[in-house]
Amino acid sequence: MSTRAPDPEPTPDEIDELARRAQAGDAEALELVLAAIRPRTLNVCRGVLPYTPDAEDACQEALLNIATKIGSWGGRGRFTTWTHVVAVNSSRTTYRRLKNQATAYDPTEHNPLSEKPDPRTTSVIAGTRLDLLEAMESLEKDHPQYVEPLILRDVYGMSYDEIAEQVGAPLGTVKAQIHHGRKLARPLLREQQ
Amino acid sequence: MRRGAAALVCALVAGTALAGCGSDDADRTPSVPSSSTAASTTPAPDDPEPAEPQAAPPANLDLALSEPAEDSLYPDVGHPGVDALHYDLTLAWDPTTDTLTGDEVLTFRSTTDAPQFQLDLSDALEVTSVRIDDADAAFEHRGQDLVVDHPVTADERYAVSIRYRGTPEPAEAPTERSDFDGGLGFTIDDEHQVWTMQEPFGAFTYYAVNDHPSDKALYDFTLWTVDPMVGVANGAQVSDERAGIARRTRYHLAEPAASYLVTIAFGDYTRTADTGPGGLPISYWTFADEPVPDSLFVSPDAIAWLEEKLGPYPFDTAGLLVVDSESAMETQTMVTLGNTSHALAESTIVHEYAHHWYGDQVTPNDWRDLWMNEGMAMYLEIVWTAERNGQDLDAAIADIAPYEASYRADDGPPGDFDPENFASGGVYYSGAMLWHALRQRIGDDDRFWEIVAGWPASRDNASSDRETLLAYLEQTTGDDLDEFWDAWLLGTTTPG
Repeated sequence: MSTRAPDPEPTPDEIDELARRAQAGDAEALELVLAAIRPRTLNVCRGVLPYTPDAEDACQEALLNIATKIGSWGGRGRFTTWTHVVAVNSSRTTYRRLKNQATAYDPTEHNPLSEKPDPRTTSVIAGTRLDLLEAMESLEKDHPQYVEPLILRDVYGMSYDEIAEQVGAPLGTVKAQIHHGRKLARPLLREQQ
Repeated sequence: MRRGAAALVCALVAGTALAGCGSDDADRTPSVPSSSTAASTTPAPDDPEPAEPQAAPPANLDLALSEPAEDSLYPDVGHPGVDALHYDLTLAWDPTTDTLTGDEVLTFRSTTDAPQFQLDLSDALEVTSVRIDDADAAFEHRGQDLVVDHPVTADERYAVSIRYRGTPEPAEAPTERSDFDGGLGFTIDDEHQVWTMQEPFGAFTYYAVNDHPSDKALYDFTLWTVDPMVGVANGAQVSDERAGIARRTRYHLAEPAASYLVTIAFGDYTRTADTGPGGLPISYWTFADEPVPDSLFVSPDAIAWLEEKLGPYPFDTAGLLVVDSESAMETQTMVTLGNTSHALAESTIVHEYAHHWYGDQVTPNDWRDLWMNEGMAMYLEIVWTAERNGQDLDAAIADIAPYEASYRADDGPPGDFDPENFASGGVYYSGAMLWHALRQRIGDDDRFWEIVAGWPASRDNASSDRETLLAYLEQTTGDDLDEFWDAWLLGTTTPG
C-alpha cells in the first residue's frame, strides 16, 4: 500500500487561533501549534543549514524558543511569520556553536586518513550556504540592523510587506536596509549556480 | 437510486438464486446460479444472449499450490489446513438496501487429515448454505471463523459451495494510520458505492477465504449490480452485459493472487482504455461524473521505466481503479487508488506498479516481512522521483534518513515492527535505505538491478521470506550479508 498521506495542514488562521490559545496557557493548543509549525520551521532551518542533522538541531532549538517565548508574539502579524524569525535566529545560533566546536577541534592532531571524520567538522563543512552565514556574521559587526531583513528576504523569501511588519520598521526603511545589506554582503558570497 | 431498482434487482438476483427478497423468505435455499435462468427472467428486449455456463475451474489448478502457514503477527486470521486453489465468486450488490449476496465455489487442497476444515468469513454475513459434492454440509459460524463439518484428507481436493448475504462490515485495522480509520475490507461509501482495501487482512468481510498471504489462489468474478453502477475486479474483463437495469460483469485472474491483493468495487464507473509496453492492455476505472485524473496516464511510462529496472511486467493486464478511499493498494493487475492528491500522485502510482514485482509476483509468506514489499516499492518511488526532479539519489536518500531513524526508534525496526501499528513508516523508509546500502555495497548499478530483477523472476507466483531472500542475495553477490541483514532489519539504530 502507499505510505500514509501527510495530515492536512492547518490554515494560517487556525494556527493563529491555536497560538492565541497557547498564549493563554492551553497546553494542548501549544502542542498542536508546535506540531503544525514544525515542518515549515524545519524548512526555514534547512534554508540556512543545508546539512539535515544541523537543521534538525536548529529546528529543535527554535521550537523550544517558540514554546517558552510564545508570550512575546505580539499578534501584529501572522504567528508563522514570527516563528520564521525565531527559526532563522536559532539556525544562526546553531551555526555559531558548530563553528566554535569545529575550531576547537584541531584536525592536525589526528591523521585524517586513519580517523573517522569528526561529525562536528563534517556537519559544518557539508553545508553549502556557509558563505552566506559568514557574510551575515561579518555584516552584523557594523550593521546589525541589516541582518534580519536580509535573511528574511533572501533566505526565506518573505515579501517586503511581511518583513516590515515583522521588524516593525517602515517599508521604505526595510527596502533600503536590504539594498545596503546586499551590497555589503555580495563580495563575501561565492557565485551561486 | 430509482425506487423501482430494488424490486428489479431483487427479481433478477432471485432468478439467479442469489437471494431471498422481500417477504419470500421461504425460498432461502436457491439453486445453483446460472446465467441462463437470469436471462430468462429479464424483461428487456435487448437481452444479452444467455451467457456461457458458470465458468469451469481452470484446467490446471497446480499453479495455485501453496504452503499455507500460520502468521507470526496475526495468527487469528488464516488457517494452514486449507490450501485454496480457486475462488469462483458470484457477488450481487444491491445499493438500495446495502445488501451483498454471495455465491462462492472454493476449490481447495486439504493439507491435513481432519474431521473438519475452517475458513475466515465475517459474521456480518449470514451463511445460508454450505454444500460439498452436491450435498449439504453442517457448519458453525462463530465470529470470523466458518467451520465446516466435513472430513478432509491430506492432499485431496474439494469443491465447497457457500452462499451468504448481509450488509458487510469492515474489519478493524491493526494500525495507527489515519487512512485506515474506516477499517479494512468491504467499505460502503456515502453514495452506496463499494470499495475494498484489505492489507494485512479483511477479504473475509466479503467472501469465505483463507485470508493469508502464504496461500495464493486463482480467481473468477461474476459481479451483479444495477445501472448506473458496474462491478469491477482484478484481472481481465471477460464480459459486460446489461439485462434491463441489471448489469453483470465478469473478470478472470490468470495467475494466482494472495487474498489481500483482491479488489472489488461497485460504483458509477466509466472505463478508459490505454496501452502499455508491448501492447499491454491497461484499464482506468474512474467515476463517470468526474474527469479522468491526468496522473493515471503516467501508467505506460511508469511500467516501461519499471521494466528497465525489474524486467518484463509479470502479468497480462494492468489497470487503475479510483475509489472513495484515502490510501492506495497494489491490488493485482488492478491497482486501487483513493480519490486524494496523495493517492493519485504519479509517484504513488509508480509505487503501486512496482509492487507488481515486489509484493504481487513474489509475496511475503508472513506479515513480519512486509518490508520486502514496501522497501523495494518505496526505493523505486524515490529513484523515480529523483530522476524526474533531476535530484541526486544520495541526497534524496539523505532526506529520508531522519524519518527512518525516528520510525525505527518509535515503532521498532522494520523486521520486528509493532503488530498494532501495521505499515508505519519504518517498513518503507528503512526498507528503501537497506536496498540503497546494498547497491552501494555492490558498487555496480547494472549488477545491482540485475540482482533486484532476478528475485521476483525466480519466485514467480510464490510466497517467500527474508531468509530465502538473504540466501538469494548472498548467492548472487557472493558476499556474506548476515551482519548487514541483521543490522538493517533488527537494529535499534540506523546502521552507519
